[in-house]
Amino acid sequence: MTSTIRQMTTKGTPYFFLLPGLVILGALLSVPLYKVVEYSLYDNVIVERNPTYVGLANYQTLLTDPGYWSAGLNTLLFTVGSVLGHMVVGIGLALLVNADIAPRARTFFRSMLVLPWIFTAVVVALNWQLLLNPFGLINYILQWMGLTTEPLDWLGDPNLAMWSLLLISTWRGYPFIMVSFLSGLQTVPRELYEAAEIDGAGFWSKFWHVTLPQLKPVIYGVALLDLIWTFQLFPLVWLSTGGGPGRATEVLSTLTFRLAFVDFQFSQAATVAVSILIISAAFTLLYLRNEARRL
Amino acid sequence: MIKTRMTAFALAAATALTPLAAQGEIEWLQWFAAENTDGFYDELVADFEAKHPDITVKLVTQPFGKVRESIVTDSAIGVGSDVLGLNMPWTKEFLDIGILEPLDDYLARDDNSFATGDLVEAPLGKIDGHTWMVPLNAFPFVMHVNMGLVREAGFDAPPATWAELSAQTSAISALQDGTSGIGMPFSSQPPSNGPILTFLPLLYANGGRIMDGTTPNFDNPKVVETLQYLKDMNDAGGMAPGAASRTGGVDLEEFIAGRTGFLISPGVHSSSITSRNPELDYTLVRVPSNGENAYRVHGWEIGISADSANKEDAWTFVNYLLSPEVNARAAKAANALPGNLKALDAVREGADETLIKQMDILSGDTPVEEMRQSPKAVGSWSVMTEEIQAMLRGDQTPAETATAVQARWIELAK
Amino acid sequence: MSRIEIRNLVKMYGAHQALHGIDISIQPGEFCVLVGPSGCGKSTTLRMVAGLETISGGEVSIGDRVVNGLRPKERGIAMVFQNYALYPSKTVYNNMAFSLQLSRMPKPEIERRVREVAEILELTPLLDRKPGALSGGQRQRVAMGRAIVRDPKVFLFDEPLSNLDAKLRGQMRAEIKRLHQRLENTIIYVTHDQVEAMTLADRIVIMRDGRIEQQGTPDEIFHDPDTVFVAGFMGSPPMNLVDCMVTPDGLKLGDSEITCATPNGLRAGERVICGIRPDDIRPASDMTADMTADTAHSAPITVPINLIEQLGTEKLVHFSAGDHEMIGKTGGRVTMAEGAPHPMSFDMKHAYFFDPKSEKRIR
Repeated sequence: MTSTIRQMTTKGTPYFFLLPGLVILGALLSVPLYKVVEYSLYDNVIVERNPTYVGLANYQTLLTDPGYWSAGLNTLLFTVGSVLGHMVVGIGLALLVNADIAPRARTFFRSMLVLPWIFTAVVVALNWQLLLNPFGLINYILQWMGLTTEPLDWLGDPNLAMWSLLLISTWRGYPFIMVSFLSGLQTVPRELYEAAEIDGAGFWSKFWHVTLPQLKPVIYGVALLDLIWTFQLFPLVWLSTGGGPGRATEVLSTLTFRLAFVDFQFSQAATVAVSILIISAAFTLLYLRNEARRL
Repeated sequence: MIKTRMTAFALAAATALTPLAAQGEIEWLQWFAAENTDGFYDELVADFEAKHPDITVKLVTQPFGKVRESIVTDSAIGVGSDVLGLNMPWTKEFLDIGILEPLDDYLARDDNSFATGDLVEAPLGKIDGHTWMVPLNAFPFVMHVNMGLVREAGFDAPPATWAELSAQTSAISALQDGTSGIGMPFSSQPPSNGPILTFLPLLYANGGRIMDGTTPNFDNPKVVETLQYLKDMNDAGGMAPGAASRTGGVDLEEFIAGRTGFLISPGVHSSSITSRNPELDYTLVRVPSNGENAYRVHGWEIGISADSANKEDAWTFVNYLLSPEVNARAAKAANALPGNLKALDAVREGADETLIKQMDILSGDTPVEEMRQSPKAVGSWSVMTEEIQAMLRGDQTPAETATAVQARWIELAK
Repeated sequence: MSRIEIRNLVKMYGAHQALHGIDISIQPGEFCVLVGPSGCGKSTTLRMVAGLETISGGEVSIGDRVVNGLRPKERGIAMVFQNYALYPSKTVYNNMAFSLQLSRMPKPEIERRVREVAEILELTPLLDRKPGALSGGQRQRVAMGRAIVRDPKVFLFDEPLSNLDAKLRGQMRAEIKRLHQRLENTIIYVTHDQVEAMTLADRIVIMRDGRIEQQGTPDEIFHDPDTVFVAGFMGSPPMNLVDCMVTPDGLKLGDSEITCATPNGLRAGERVICGIRPDDIRPASDMTADMTADTAHSAPITVPINLIEQLGTEKLVHFSAGDHEMIGKTGGRVTMAEGAPHPMSFDMKHAYFFDPKSEKRIR
């Protein structure tokens, strides 16, 4: 009897030490999660002292709201475009800074190219607003090169705003991909490149037949991770365009914020948040499965 | 989503940690101290505490952009501050949530340090039958003028009428690449409030209004006329290109840097303009009008939280802030005009020309502030922003714009 | 089949000189093995022939062309790497077909060639597998197959068997030899394993510290070494190399004296390095017909036996002669006691003498 108890205490001790952490983590995760879902089932909360339970009515409203669908489409465009941009630029630059050049120059380029990552979204947004301004540097260069005759309002024209946002997002997000690929590239055995060279492969053949297949697991994992992050990215969009002009760059995260803190429609906002949660969770499951398979 | 989660968690945490506000301790949430770097508000609080040893004031400072959110969420979870720094356009929204304490009874007291009649009137106007806030300070919307560009364009005086403004903006824009007559910040980027910064002052100077009591009334001839005026000015090239992506911050910076001839914004900006670019040949004038001397008034207001446990102490503090002597100091610290007009003389002493001009506007013209009556003020000006963007793009006529704003605003207010 | 000429080849890594003027002339169809300890420059030489390392000085020509400035694919070579370097994402078929696909050869021709080579290498059942699903020996064969399908003028092997276990290595060695007999290509083969060198080569080039120590046929290298290094490098167990003093009648080795003809040009009292293979030192009781043929060269001395190593068909006899640890041999069935002194007979007819200073052979 006593030995059983002693055994239990001995076995339980590690878990006892884990307990505070588990409780805090659990509370930090589960309470807000639960609350958001709960909020989405009421007519309105926070600004409403006596909320009424309305079941799935908010979801119904949401699914019939063209604004939601257009934000959803924008989110899809923004997410896929950003991830593609990150991938292409990230891989390209990773290849460049992996090149066999003077070590000092290589270190210099590597650190320079990681810079966009360390700026906060506010700084990034502000800088790009200035660059993309009708009187800004980019318009100046385009006109000087004779590519455009009139200055373009990159962030203010509904036909250009999403592209400009994608440009900003690509600039801001590629370093993570670049760094991931760089470490991936360094694990590709040199002999494979040499074998390919002897087999007659040029730069692109080596890239397609050696580099890409070797990086495939990294690409898949990193792309999914990027997808999850970008899908719910808020500050960069909000600070660069605020979802505008009109609602040309409104994504689900900015819609959530707008509903909550501009319109005080907290329940409706929670409903959008839950929809983001569901899609993010699906991506996350994919990601975890991929990681598990790699182990 | 993150915000919502944070709110939710705060709510959960707060239920466990109901605030045990000590007797005689009040909290003052505001953004004023964030816009003042020399520690004036700490001194103010210290001075108050010295005079009222039984009350302590906790200064809670946040940037302007955060205060509205904080007031709403704090109040929802029962940790709201006692004294609140307020912005007039928020009034109706906050009333609907029940955040504010009616101030009528407090204002009617005999032992107040001020006379209610001396206060700037705009924020006092009753909504739902009560007065909800008092003015710490006030400033009119004015038009800042780059006299250098005006002269370069061949004029010797700033524009006083709409026609003169049109002529001068076009002329200044024609001067050289990168120079524009006037900036219009109609970006969707938060706070996305370009229309209330520029469109409303022009509308009021044209004798127009957008509210009928607490009902939106955007679809009227004066509004259409004013919109048409903006459109014409834009089509004529008088307006800086890229209005749809221009933020208020950029607009101010561009003026300070000397790249725009005119800037319509609160008079309080004159101090940053002159301090940031002393070389600028600068003056300010009332917003050009069509003979109508009405201006949009703005200011920093003070209210008391309906949930406050220390309303008496809170009023003692508000009462202190409004006394002519303290109010004059506060106005000077913000480079604004006092909310208590009894303090005007004290402020006038040693004031510069631009402040004197603002005083003239304040004393002679009709102050207007409509957003305070608007249900969903913030949402409504976002709507105005989006529709004006579409108009300037050429997607819709001014009349269609007015109709669209009205329809969406009504929808929003439901 | 091409002749390969390497003339005065030099490799610099910054200020460090890795190769000091290598000259090798390889006949068409010849199997040339570069052998030496790690760091001797053999792999560098091979990679310079392949075009994977730049040439700092000298000249490499394949066939009639100087290839210094040519890219690897233009040199008409194929290479087999130590770690196989198979493309992990490609099937065996595509690994072998890749170079042909890159050269835009018609598909049916590719198919024909790959299948033919796969048949030779017994890879046909594995063609659809990926390298990850193959054993080490199979991968090695795929790597060779990949080289063979291109029908190159020259094969380059960079330690191709070093990742295989001893048994497989033996098999593959034989397979490579057979392939060479069949294909008759010119081959340069790098290894650090002297057995591979001996068994495979038409010509062995022994390298040391970026220089060629000796080159010749396996017989020449083994039985007629030019230097102490070559003598010690080839053969297992290695040749006994002992520092001796020349006496009027032979050599003084520790306390004992071995009777033999005085090495050419040396006088009594001079020092000399004497090299004698373990095969040529036998217990006196175990004299074979071969050794007794000329007893004048054979002089038994009695030495303490330290250790007997049983190898099966033969035994290695470790003994001390003065300060020197030496190894002799005896038949696998002979019984000898460890720890006891025993007379050992030296077949001095097959001994080599080297100058202790220059380490060069005294002939």
